[in-house]
Amino acid sequence: METVGGLGQGKVRALIEKATNSTEAEVEPRLLKAIKSVVRYSDSELRLAAQTLMDLMKRDHSQVRYLTLLIIDQLFMRSKLFRTLLVENLDQLLSLSVGFRRNLPLPAPPAVASVLRSKAIEFLEKWNDSFGIHYRQIRLGFDYLKNTLRFQFPNIQANAAQERREREMRSKEILQSKFEILKGNLSSIKEEIQSTLDEIGECLEIVRTEQETMPPGPLDDEDFVEFRPSELRQIRLDSLREGEKIHENSENKVVFDALRELYKLLVTKHLVSVQEWISVLIRVEVPDNRSRDSVLKEFIDIQNRLQSVKKKCVESGYALPDTTKREKDEEEDFWEEGKIESIKLESSNALNKLNENFAVASTSGQTKNDSPESSKGKAKCDQSQSCKGADSSSLRSKLLAEGPVVKWGNFLNNWDSNRVVLANQRGLELESHWGRVDYNAVIPAEKIAELNIRATIYEEEQVEIQPCHAPLHKGGLCQRRDLRVCPFHGPVIPRDDEGNPINKSTSTSDTTLDSDLIEQLAKQAVKNVRNRENEEANKRKLDKQSQKRAKLAKIREHNEAVLRDAALASTSNSVFAGENVKATTGGRLARNKKKSLASMLHKKESTKDRLAQRLLNTRARDATIRLLTLGEDANYREAFPNQW
Amino acid sequence: MWREIRDREAGKTRPNSFTNRIKSNRIADLQLSNCKDIVSPHRGSINSLQVDLTEGRYLLSGASDASAACFDIQRATDYEGRGLIAKHKCLFAVDKQHESGHKFAISSAIWYPVDTGLFITGSYDHYIKVWDTNTTQAVVNFKMPGKVYRTAMSPLATSHMLIAAGTEDVQVRLCDIASGAFAHTLSGHRDGVMTVEWSTSSEFVLITGGCDGAIRFWDIRRAGCFRVLDQSRSQLGRRPPILACSATNKVSISKALSVGQNLPSKPRVHQKKPAAGNGIKQSPLGRTPAKGPLRQRLHPGMLSSQDRATAHYGAVTGLKITEDGMYLLSAGSDSRMRLWDVESGCNTLVNFETVRLQTSKAIQLATTQDSSLVFVPCMTAVKAFDVWSGMTSMTFRGHYEYVNCCWFNSQDQEIYTGGNDRQILVWSPSRLIANEMDTGPAEDQDNWSD
Repeated sequence: METVGGLGQGKVRALIEKATNSTEAEVEPRLLKAIKSVVRYSDSELRLAAQTLMDLMKRDHSQVRYLTLLIIDQLFMRSKLFRTLLVENLDQLLSLSVGFRRNLPLPAPPAVASVLRSKAIEFLEKWNDSFGIHYRQIRLGFDYLKNTLRFQFPNIQANAAQERREREMRSKEILQSKFEILKGNLSSIKEEIQSTLDEIGECLEIVRTEQETMPPGPLDDEDFVEFRPSELRQIRLDSLREGEKIHENSENKVVFDALRELYKLLVTKHLVSVQEWISVLIRVEVPDNRSRDSVLKEFIDIQNRLQSVKKKCVESGYALPDTTKREKDEEEDFWEEGKIESIKLESSNALNKLNENFAVASTSGQTKNDSPESSKGKAKCDQSQSCKGADSSSLRSKLLAEGPVVKWGNFLNNWDSNRVVLANQRGLELESHWGRVDYNAVIPAEKIAELNIRATIYEEEQVEIQPCHAPLHKGGLCQRRDLRVCPFHGPVIPRDDEGNPINKSTSTSDTTLDSDLIEQLAKQAVKNVRNRENEEANKRKLDKQSQKRAKLAKIREHNEAVLRDAALASTSNSVFAGENVKATTGGRLARNKKKSLASMLHKKESTKDRLAQRLLNTRARDATIRLLTLGEDANYREAFPNQW
Repeated sequence: MWREIRDREAGKTRPNSFTNRIKSNRIADLQLSNCKDIVSPHRGSINSLQVDLTEGRYLLSGASDASAACFDIQRATDYEGRGLIAKHKCLFAVDKQHESGHKFAISSAIWYPVDTGLFITGSYDHYIKVWDTNTTQAVVNFKMPGKVYRTAMSPLATSHMLIAAGTEDVQVRLCDIASGAFAHTLSGHRDGVMTVEWSTSSEFVLITGGCDGAIRFWDIRRAGCFRVLDQSRSQLGRRPPILACSATNKVSISKALSVGQNLPSKPRVHQKKPAAGNGIKQSPLGRTPAKGPLRQRLHPGMLSSQDRATAHYGAVTGLKITEDGMYLLSAGSDSRMRLWDVESGCNTLVNFETVRLQTSKAIQLATTQDSSLVFVPCMTAVKAFDVWSGMTSMTFRGHYEYVNCCWFNSQDQEIYTGGNDRQILVWSPSRLIANEMDTGPAEDQDNWSD
């Protein structure tokens, strides 16, 4: 190999040696990358690398072997030539890394050696899985370690299969439980959806009746516009149709709001949930398919109905996505960003209340008439709800009456449920995923709860800002509304009708106080301040002393601890080299030696240690001797029971 | 390769040399075969391997879990890895569960040399059994005085059907299949007999190697052994004159051997006129003028300086006679290999580069047909040595424990090795034409991600 040598020859050897000469648990990624890039473009370097790595594996130090093995794995998974080179000496590599030959145990730092062994076994399994088919040697080695020496392999693949099976089982269970739930409250779900649909229908009805009452616009004049170009006609027709549509005005605003809200409910809640149920029904495996199929059919019908209603809403243009509306609202709100709220807010409040009502109604069917300004449409809605609510049980209505009224939100869907949810089975079939989709992925119940935390928008309490009411020169009172300080009249204080402050004690009266008294007071104040200062100084001094004492105590304690550690570490043989070295060098010797490969092997032996060993040995020996003699005695007695 | 074929086509090369060249090329790149797996049913170390001598198709293996198995090495039973790996499962196996199976380890399993209808197993349970292959029933049973170490049948026998058996006992016994009894009892060894080998040039000559370190030559037509190999008697290298012409070669061998066989008359001649001018033919024997008469006088088993000669220090663990019957290779527990000139009985002083050999068990050696290479199990590896120089030409590493036996299949140029790790490995020449299946599942290629 040396004869092939070019200019850069031997670079890889230096790199590998540098990479393996470290006490870290990983090969330094930069060096590894350098090795890979050198080896990638030159076969001779690769051969040299294989040679060097095998040489390093023979090094009498587990750490070196461990790092070497890591590099070997990296190259092994990548280069075919490297594989063929290495596989020829696989038995040697295995005996050096696994240490299965009794006459060739793994070398010194035992902690690293055990890591090395487990890693080697893991790698062998990996290699066998990916390349075993091409290399008899790998198969042989794997087979030998597994079937003859009975090594425990991590068995990654089988474990993964097992896990997958378990996951599938779990998802099946989830589906099953979901199906059970669905069967349980199928009627209530249907009822709920039906009620929403009914409400929408009624709202639409109302709007339509209004439309009919409206004066009919100019009717079809197609007779005499036929000669016009078709485009123009189209435009005209469109505009006509647009004109036929009812536009929101102050009268039917409430109805529209309700309609919008219902539409939102329909799209965001019912449609999605129905789709989800359908997907559950499709996936679930139950013993009796008939009931499932019938339920599925029903759901599909419901879905179709929902779709048609949605379409109707969209067509009629009432239920335009309310984002535009909200934007408008925000625009309107813009100029009064301060704390003052006008009537606008009140109206929106009213709207909110209305929504609330609807939400509650749609979930419970309870009647709650707390919005006095509800219009005709609203009343109608309520009526429909109330007649439905009548047949629900009285206890329930009582409870509902007691319960707080909460704004409707997504969180209500999952109220008090601790079901896990399948993440990728939402009824939406997304085909254009990039990458694989795990259909069994699950969102745990806690996460769902977290996601569905009830969100409330902070609404400020309405504060009536008092006007300044200070008397003006030209007569009248200042009408400025400032929170605390009026720029012209100072702090805003309560005043009576003429503008005089109501509370007199503070500002106006103290000018009349006695000057003597003031002086006295001032003196007293100065004295007080002095006293306080003195006290503080004393205290500070004391503090400093105690702190010093505490510091000293701490240092002493630390020293003691370190010494104790050192003593422990140097006596106990069970402590592995790594920590050991650190403790001893840090504790007993003041200078901090750098950790090196040699130091890993090194084990300090003190006189104490030796003494302990000796004591232990003699004691153990004595004990065994005693035991043996005892045993002999007993045997003797058993054998010759008559003799003593 | 193609040029050779063209030369052959044009008649430039002889058919013989052509095949020899191709064969030696193939042998030179033997390696562990990836696409031929023998699925070993054995749960103990493999002690013996042999491919039948008639078809060269059925491999017989004997293992220390008292089982013997037979494999078809030409037709795989099933395939793995999308046809990449051919698995050869055993056609049948006889083990302890068999009603007449052996109780202890089978140390040797050999084919009946004439056809594959019979095979013979020798076991540590003191029995040698002859089996009918087709019914897998034991047909003849021989009770031996001790553990059987090795059995052998002469590949060229036409006038006898004798199984030579080396056992724990000092005597070598010849079991006659025809009569079901012991035909001969050959005594001479002072310790158990580890290995026995029939001559490949004469059907009556048997060679045995014992734990006492002696290698003895027996002519089964007369009592006593006619030669004991002595490691201190040596000659340097091969004898030159015999290689004069390949055609006359065989004649001279047979003549030389007939000399050995007609010993009863010869020694008498020697005795009468000792140190007289011998013919050129007798020259190798003539070098030991004292040997003939002494042995003549001595009763087999009596003491003599010749009779005490040893071929190895320690036991002789392996014997292999070359295909032409002119040379004998022996392996000993002293970790030495020796090459003996059969004709002169001299050690040829070839230094084989064995590092260490297994000492506790008999090992089975193999040679190529043209006896240029010998395959020797050296601990966990099998080494191929050049017979004439002793240089290592190849090392086959694959077993994880000691290798006990190897067999060279001269028909396919493959070797089969069996070891203590219960595996039977196939070493075959690498294929010249890359198989199209290689591009099958999970292609084995470079995979640099960065």
